[in-house]
Amino acid sequence: MEIQVWQAALFGLFACLASMPGLGGTVFGNYTLGRPLVAGLVVGLIMGDVQTGIYLGAAIQVVYIALVTPGGTVSADVRAISYIGIPLSIVAVHGMGLSPASPEGQAMAVTLGSAVGTLGTVLFYGTATVNLVWQHMGWKALEKGNLKKLYVVDMGLPWISHILCSFIPTFIITKVGVNMVDLMKAYLPMDGIAMKTLFTVGSLLPAVGIAILLKQVATKPVDLLTFLFGFTLAACMGLNLIAASVVGGFFAVINYRIKLLSMQKAAPAAALDAGTDGFDDDEEEI
Amino acid sequence: MAEKKLSKKALAKSFRNWYYGHLTCFSQEHMQTFGYLCAMLPLVEELYETKEEQKEALQTYSAFFNTEPQLGTVIVGMTAGLEEAKANGEEIDGEMINGIRAGLMGPVAGIGDSLLVGTLIPILLGVALGMSSGGSPLGAIFYILVYNIVLTLGMRFLYYKGYELGGKAVELIVGEKANAIRESVIMLGTIVIGAVAATWISITTPMVLPGDIALQTGVLDTIFPKILPLAAVMFCYWLMSKKKMAPTTVMLILVGVALVGVLLGFFDPQLSY
Repeated sequence: MEIQVWQAALFGLFACLASMPGLGGTVFGNYTLGRPLVAGLVVGLIMGDVQTGIYLGAAIQVVYIALVTPGGTVSADVRAISYIGIPLSIVAVHGMGLSPASPEGQAMAVTLGSAVGTLGTVLFYGTATVNLVWQHMGWKALEKGNLKKLYVVDMGLPWISHILCSFIPTFIITKVGVNMVDLMKAYLPMDGIAMKTLFTVGSLLPAVGIAILLKQVATKPVDLLTFLFGFTLAACMGLNLIAASVVGGFFAVINYRIKLLSMQKAAPAAALDAGTDGFDDDEEEI
Repeated sequence: MAEKKLSKKALAKSFRNWYYGHLTCFSQEHMQTFGYLCAMLPLVEELYETKEEQKEALQTYSAFFNTEPQLGTVIVGMTAGLEEAKANGEEIDGEMINGIRAGLMGPVAGIGDSLLVGTLIPILLGVALGMSSGGSPLGAIFYILVYNIVLTLGMRFLYYKGYELGGKAVELIVGEKANAIRESVIMLGTIVIGAVAATWISITTPMVLPGDIALQTGVLDTIFPKILPLAAVMFCYWLMSKKKMAPTTVMLILVGVALVGVLLGFFDPQLSY
């Protein structure tokens, strides 16, 4: 399977739009185009194989379901996962004769996507570093009172950072990466330890994605039970994700009602407290 | 002198500049500062006549700014209101505006990261994954539409609420009722994530125990279905929350686990070209 020049160029363009300090904006860029599931659709359309794109994008999505970048630190970069990892996985899965719907095909995609994503961190720091130059120009302009220049600094010049750190790397790696698949086939037999490990890693990695998210939402041990409840709904009761969301929504509503009730109860009590103490220390969890 | 009032046009332009440009010129040194400057520029141009005054007003916003930018729209809206009041000669100065900005960016980042990035996005993606599980593009399209519509309307709402209500707008996101909603939404998110884990993580073992008992179907499945995926998640969770490991370190440990598992015959994808 080949990746044409125009296809590699389009991956490069989408990488510019979808990355974290990206040019598609946060909502439509990073959090939409950057999500592997959406990228699966985009890459699938570009390569003329939407179904494979979605299968593999969905598999990779699970690993990065909670890609939070607190305070601008990243452990993996979406432009690389989505627009380098997914095209290469499509090529790899087809090249090795795996079915994209099979656990093995998806494990292949997950391993490739995650490996590329980790490397992509360099692209993130690269972009942010080149942007320093434009910011420096921005401070000069502000000092001189050349205020309109700020627009160019904020929304125009960063394109240069992205051409350097998103477009060019994506273009080259997707164009050249195709050969890698043949190399792997030639040197790494499927029943060898290296390939077996690679596929096993692919099946284990989604657990990291889920755990990252769990760490974020589960603040007390009892929250793990909520997670286990959702897990049981799907694993033992066979509910699909939409059905599980409905059940989850129902419990969320009950929880909300209980919270409201306890607030109403607390209000008169707090008023009494205020009478004796002068103030009540409201518990604000932040 | 007539009271200065920001025009609809200037506010709309300010909102658009923030909506699109808050992170475009990101660097580790000044993360969302330039986005903030661009959001304030249309307002400052309208409120102050001379270049000197405009420049001085903008200086306020050249201080470092970084928060969860989507929820953080409420802060930008608030400062629009404050800047208007300041231009009308009320007792507000740049230092005070910056104090408010600096005080809010931490809490708003915490709430935004856990509510939007940690909960809303995973719920939507979870549902979308379900819709796309047969290789159908429907889930991806669903996510694109829902996320963009909800966030665009939501950010617009936050911006104008911030502008109208000023400090009271903070109640919208940190008030008691908001806390109750947030906690419930996070509960929904945790349940959905559990279901996503059970549906999308597929770890099995082909190992056969002495006496011809298949470990997977004969032992593990009878204890709890999908116990291996569950164990893997709990192991990673334990490494990250109790051992404070970075996700990348955990991924490397999994490579080690996979290698050992393959050598012991516990893992084997059983493939050939």
